[in-house]
Amino acid sequence: MSENTTKEPVTVNLEWLSDCGGCHVAVVDLHEKIEKVLQAVSIQRCPVLTDIKGYPHARVGLVSGAIRTEHDRHAAEAMRENCDLVIAWGSCAVYGGIVGAGIVHSRNEIFDTVYNNCKTTGTHTSPSVEVSPLEKFVTPLDEIIDVDMYLPGCPPHPAFVFDALISLVEGRTPKANKRSVCGRCNRVMKKTSTDSIKSSSSGIPDPALCFLSQGYICMGSVTLDRCLAPCPTNGVVCTGCAGATMQVLTEPNRDIRTEIADRMSRITRIPRQAIVTEIERTAKSHYSYTMASSMIGEKPTFLINKWLKDAEASYE
Amino acid sequence: MVDIQLHDQSCRGCGMCADICPTRVFDYDDEKNKASIRHAEDCIACLSCAYICPSGAITHDNYRVVKNFYRDLTFCGKMEKFL
Repeated sequence: MSENTTKEPVTVNLEWLSDCGGCHVAVVDLHEKIEKVLQAVSIQRCPVLTDIKGYPHARVGLVSGAIRTEHDRHAAEAMRENCDLVIAWGSCAVYGGIVGAGIVHSRNEIFDTVYNNCKTTGTHTSPSVEVSPLEKFVTPLDEIIDVDMYLPGCPPHPAFVFDALISLVEGRTPKANKRSVCGRCNRVMKKTSTDSIKSSSSGIPDPALCFLSQGYICMGSVTLDRCLAPCPTNGVVCTGCAGATMQVLTEPNRDIRTEIADRMSRITRIPRQAIVTEIERTAKSHYSYTMASSMIGEKPTFLINKWLKDAEASYE
Repeated sequence: MVDIQLHDQSCRGCGMCADICPTRVFDYDDEKNKASIRHAEDCIACLSCAYICPSGAITHDNYRVVKNFYRDLTFCGKMEKFL
């Protein structure tokens, strides 16, 4: 303790743009370990903890959330100006996250659905004051400001947040691995004779057998492990919240749907093309976390608007 | 010489690495449902196993990286900054 108190604490600013706020809660999820962090870190601006409205100078800035509104842009720029090191924190800041699914809708469509035609409110008018106007597109943080480090996850598991914060304080490189969610899952991936794709709500999956082997589309094999695989180990398919693996992000010829289809068609009897088509049909779910990121959203083969139209047409 | 490692805990036992390897580097244990590296000296660093492995459990070191021109280098540079 004496060693830590003699050192000047590292000043940290936290900022919250367009996201759900779960990343800030992940800091509290450090439980007792937060004591260790708070000995070495001095939290200044933090929308959920402190009442500091401005942007004091800090060594580290943790920014969660995507850039969706004009306010988000200003807040991100203010963080960049006042923090020596900016970390894009959580999937929304790194890839656009769930907010990023807004790229498939125009601003008018969004305002119409949320305010003008909302079935649960009575006003039916778009706000003209206090709500910041929307930017034209949703963008990840690094398209607006320079980002020094990325910590994806929805939210990143406290183990990774703790490791990142402590390693920054101690000046060492965090030991983040590049393995996928499958690496942490406890299911066995066996070759089976399954010949049809199942929806996540049909049947009861075998808890010991890999979802892909059983015909369920699980995104574990194309998703970076920043979660310690709580979903597949508890009977829920991975939805890819921590974003795509390095090979999907860096190789233009590999994509979420083709990677899943390659593996799934090798361990089942489902044809590769049937899996690709099914993922395209449900693309808004499978690409929701990463579609605002340029490396996924701008792939020439990523035709989300066409897939959505085709899916709508098939509903009659 | 190329160095190949398999992170044993991450192996899900699909056996796809053993199927895809052109030089039969891997051994597959049917009882334990685990793959293991048997002939590391035969590895030609084609990286097929690393790409097909669902867990990303297979890594290679000390191999010659071929320059390719289709990658977005700015974007790939960002990958180095992932925590």
